Amino acid sequence: MTLERALGEARILLCVGSGGVGKTTTAAALGVAAARRGRTTAVLTVDPAQRLKDALGLDALDGAPRRVALAAGAPLDAMLLDVKRTFDVLVAGLAATPEQARRVLENRLYQNLSSTLAGTAEYMAVETVYRLAEEERYELVVVDTPPSRHAVDFLDAPRRLLALLDSRAFAILKDPTSILPAAGSRLAHLLLLGVLRGLERFTGLGLVREIGEFVQAIDALTEAFRARVAAVAALLRGRGTQIVLVTTPEPGLAAETEALARALRAIGLSIGGVIVNRALPRALFADPPPGPPPGTPPPLAPRLARSFADLKMLADRQARVIAPLLAGADAPVLAEVPLLAPPPASLEELVDLARHLVPDADPPAQATRGRA
Amino acid sequence: MPARLPLAAQRLVVVTGKGGVGKSAVAAALARAAAKAGRRVLAVEVGAGRLGALLGGTLGPEPRPLGPHLAAATIEPEAALADFVLSVLKLRVLARRLLESTSFQVLAAAAPGLPEFLVLHRLSSWLDARRLGRFVYDLVVVDAPATGHSLPLLAAPQALGALARVGPVAERLSSIGRRLTDPTATLVCLVTTPEELAVRETVDLHRELAGRLGLPVAPPIVNALPPRRFTAGDVAALARLETSAPAHPYLAAARLELARRREAAAQVAVLRRSLGPPVRLPFLYGGPESDGGLARLSAELALAAGLAA
Repeated sequence: MTLERALGEARILLCVGSGGVGKTTTAAALGVAAARRGRTTAVLTVDPAQRLKDALGLDALDGAPRRVALAAGAPLDAMLLDVKRTFDVLVAGLAATPEQARRVLENRLYQNLSSTLAGTAEYMAVETVYRLAEEERYELVVVDTPPSRHAVDFLDAPRRLLALLDSRAFAILKDPTSILPAAGSRLAHLLLLGVLRGLERFTGLGLVREIGEFVQAIDALTEAFRARVAAVAALLRGRGTQIVLVTTPEPGLAAETEALARALRAIGLSIGGVIVNRALPRALFADPPPGPPPGTPPPLAPRLARSFADLKMLADRQARVIAPLLAGADAPVLAEVPLLAPPPASLEELVDLARHLVPDADPPAQATRGRA
Repeated sequence: MPARLPLAAQRLVVVTGKGGVGKSAVAAALARAAAKAGRRVLAVEVGAGRLGALLGGTLGPEPRPLGPHLAAATIEPEAALADFVLSVLKLRVLARRLLESTSFQVLAAAAPGLPEFLVLHRLSSWLDARRLGRFVYDLVVVDAPATGHSLPLLAAPQALGALARVGPVAERLSSIGRRLTDPTATLVCLVTTPEELAVRETVDLHRELAGRLGLPVAPPIVNALPPRRFTAGDVAALARLETSAPAHPYLAAARLELARRREAAAQVAVLRRSLGPPVRLPFLYGGPESDGGLARLSAELALAAGLAA
């Protein structure tokens, strides 16, 4: 895959990676690049820095699409993920009656679960992508995925939720003895009930009763939810979805990204390619240090040499750090983004970044810089 | 004048920050500095990360010696939960079946703070451990999970306390809660890099931890601060050279460094306005794992915390 092909052909482009690798900025720049190539595009972002919000013209935090003021190309909309709202809309849509929806939303356990259960926020992001894809208003949806504890949660969210809602799992909550080898027997029942009561007494948590209430409330929604989750999972694995791994050449982050790449493969998702952010331009440091430029004042010369030598050390370290990741990801490097300081703060700078990621086929023909 | 790290008689130091800011390097360097100053230190990593590699050893669930006065261990929240369930259920087969079932994930998630409580419980037992009448460890330095997950960790006594009002857990919770909020017992250190998102997250986290949870939080630690390399005269000379040899690698490198330094200074100013003057740590071009890298951070932190060798 090349970025150019992905931007031209994919329906959904997912940017995945650890927190702090510049995923959000990358997703925004890819959206800009796609729109500039004539595809009607939406960028779904999760937690943009103020500067990026300014660049995109995203001032409100209501999850509604905002048109980005690109000077040329197809329309580009940007929007923020609103987990709470997505969740409310989903429950309301699936519930047969408003009363049923209310019972679920007001259950205390459900409120805890909606924020603490691994993958819920991630699922809501996928759900939003699904809705956008359904609407067919956009040719391409570029997604900045939420930073996850287990970074794979986002992509695995549908399967996890489905497993959770699996009627057998809920059957366990209704009848905990079903986890025992002699399920259903009177002895098993007494044994487990005793254990759970003991756990409840020891922790002081009213878990057993509350879980029962929760199961009753959610049970009514389960079937509709299952169908929806399965459809969303299929979309993620479909041919129109491409996954781009975003990383930076720093030891901690590269190691996390490596683990993420492995985890993605383990759940049957393939990585289309890797974008390396904050890389020092290697070409600059390839040759042995030259002398200072002619005319350098003598006191400045050693400081220039030192600055160059330090950055070369950093470039060498970056190369060492990134090598095992690239070997393990089993995917091509789509682009390297040089260490920029600071990150893009205006639409012009974002367009520059987009042009760096996907160079224009016919650069001078389009007047694309500047905002309306 | 950079801020000092107010580390006096506290025995628990929790180091946290956004992912990728060098939190583990700061925790490792602080543990080293305190050990060098003669304190018996236990460095603890929550989850699997880089602390072991930085301290030059492999970490296990039980403390292992890694040098004079220095030991280290790791706590896996999942493993802690498994231990807890096993200790309550006593039956290994039953415990395993329960932990593997999807429904147990619901149970664990529905009791917010349970795994976190178990982590704090384990930390407390190390803090309380005595041998021949004196503490085994003078200081426990925790390399806590990144921001999004250290908040639940530090909020666990309150979150779980709202659910568990009586019983052994409730008692343990309130004693852990008292320890965490006691400024003579605990110091929470927030590490950031001089970058917009990290600084913003640090300001938010500070508000949550110091404001809402009432924890004793130290002045922020700015890690990876690029050096001030060039004088004002240099900058003027560089501008002149740019016109004659713009593509020269020395000048390209200098441009990059000047831009990074400017951006870092702007972010430090933001941090200073919100949280006061920070403790500053230098950017290490070769990384903390390079020769003398961690030692340099250690020396800076020893100075900031007044840890005399």
